[in-house]
Amino acid sequence: MSAVVAEFRRNRLSLSYVIVVALLILLVVAGGFLSDRFLTWRNFGNLFQQLVVLGMVSLGQTFVVLLGGIDLAVGSLVSASTVFIAHFLEWRPDLLWLALPLALIAATAIGALNGLLTIVLRVHPLIVTLGMSSIIFGGTLMYNKEPGGSVPRGLADFSYAKLWGIPVTAIVLVAVFALAGLWLQRSRSGRSIYFVGGDREAARLNGLPVNRIVVMAYALSGLCAGLAAIFLTARTGVGDPRIGAALTLQSITPVVVGGTILAGGRGGVLGTLLGVLLVTMLNNLLNFLNVSSYYQWVIQGLIIIIAVSIHTTRRRQ
Amino acid sequence: MAPLETPLPRSRGMSVASVFERYGLIVFLLALLLVAAALSPTFLQPANLVNVLTIAAPLGMVVVGQTFVILVRGLDLSVASLMATVAVLATAFKATTNDAIPLIFVAAIAFSAVVGLVNGWLVAKRNVSPFLATLAMMIILQGVRFAYTGGAPISTLPPGMGFLASGRILGIPVNLITLALLAIVFGVVLHRSRLGREIFMVGSNPKAAFLNGVAPDRVIIFCYVICSVCAGIGGLFLLGYVGTVSNWVGQGYELDSIVAAVMGGVALTGGRGNIFAALVGVAVLVVINNLVLLLGFPIEMQLIIKGIIIIGAAAFYRTRLA
Repeated sequence: MSAVVAEFRRNRLSLSYVIVVALLILLVVAGGFLSDRFLTWRNFGNLFQQLVVLGMVSLGQTFVVLLGGIDLAVGSLVSASTVFIAHFLEWRPDLLWLALPLALIAATAIGALNGLLTIVLRVHPLIVTLGMSSIIFGGTLMYNKEPGGSVPRGLADFSYAKLWGIPVTAIVLVAVFALAGLWLQRSRSGRSIYFVGGDREAARLNGLPVNRIVVMAYALSGLCAGLAAIFLTARTGVGDPRIGAALTLQSITPVVVGGTILAGGRGGVLGTLLGVLLVTMLNNLLNFLNVSSYYQWVIQGLIIIIAVSIHTTRRRQ
Repeated sequence: MAPLETPLPRSRGMSVASVFERYGLIVFLLALLLVAAALSPTFLQPANLVNVLTIAAPLGMVVVGQTFVILVRGLDLSVASLMATVAVLATAFKATTNDAIPLIFVAAIAFSAVVGLVNGWLVAKRNVSPFLATLAMMIILQGVRFAYTGGAPISTLPPGMGFLASGRILGIPVNLITLALLAIVFGVVLHRSRLGREIFMVGSNPKAAFLNGVAPDRVIIFCYVICSVCAGIGGLFLLGYVGTVSNWVGQGYELDSIVAAVMGGVALTGGRGNIFAALVGVAVLVVINNLVLLLGFPIEMQLIIKGIIIIGAAAFYRTRLA
């Protein structure tokens, strides 16, 4: 037993995961007792469908936070992408194969621009992405203030499609997370994100292409926002310039709950996935218990403080 | 460790660069005013200027507080949520006479101070990053506020509150006078007192401050309390302006206050900044917003211009990566 504890001490990351997994199990058991509709196949299907968008955006946020940065432009970027996709598809529903890659490329490019600006201007990422968020939001509103556009049947069907009873979108999400996790842990470029996040100067002195890695992380965040927008447009069927606004701050909660610290260099995508599960499940259960969304806000705030306090306290020991 | 070239805390005496920083902004403001005057004959008329300043005053109050927090390497995202919560608190007395105003102020300031204390405690004692601590506080206050009001606006307010927000003494808006008093008091604290020097020390180098016998934790908590109290007062002054209390009084002020402070040369990396320059930042922001409307651009244009300016201003002051 002590060997196990020692192993966890050495690898603090996994202890973060253990805490979150324990909370998840607690939540599922408590949910089973408190509500007879919570522990049903149907509810979990819905739940997974709900968490796809948040999961995707949080994944992108994880890359940037690992690097020691933050991306406050993701919400606006998701909104802008849904507007682009829905209006493009309303114009030419047959060009689905072109619209989606275009949206992804544009979102990735805007993400990369965020990273580039932090480097070229040497401005704090908080400020750069905040400014970009404002620019993107303003631009989207100038194009169209109201939700609009439409999507072809095929895309809408995709959002409700199921494989062996599991939503396809959820399968895609888990696959993307697995891919991201493997990339971060196993590949040279993925691991370099941790290195740069841990100590940028040391990484530079070790000959890592720091600037390229920074731009890559922000570009990935943009790509994830674009993917989230595809899921979102498929589900809602419209492009809404305000739909992503709340996602910016929401995307940070799962990241920090999952043990990725804002200072950068430590954490991982598994923690984020668990964090997304925890947050979404908790809200789902509270809905079943008829707890007003007002108290859900209070609880979300407390979760952030408690999670971060736990993670930072262990760091100091 | 902070790099060697980190400027020493200066409350007196300025280097050439800092003169440029400070007056560069004023020159920019003057240029903006000239453009505005050239484009719209009504802009420079006293009535319009006073109006613009009246709108700017509550934001200015928030910026005074935000400056304190940014100086110690923090930031406060909970200010707007606090403004709205204080506004709701003010209506909770269900007062219809002006006798209740002092009580409302005392309650609002006490409540804000507690919020600031919790923020500061989380940041200084629990090592929670300022971003997350104040983000959590923002969400919690929002939840508490909505739970209390049930989401509906209320409008039971003493009539005198309206005077605070849009009334005038000798033609000068009351809220502008209050802002000036607030800025002078806190400006003296920051730029002329021992405590102010300690704030700059903690902001530029907490370790060195500690070795010099300053308790960084106490200084940081103090800054968060000041910030929340300023936001609370700002909330009360904004409240009377709007008349009814919606649950979103002050929405957007958290980001606007940070933008204004950064434009005013307050470095997000801490230890560098000036309250009065930050207030010039407020003026620039408000004039730009006004100018966009005067030029007949769609209001969304404000968002784009604000975004470009925030990035540009930060680049101008070279806020380095932390």
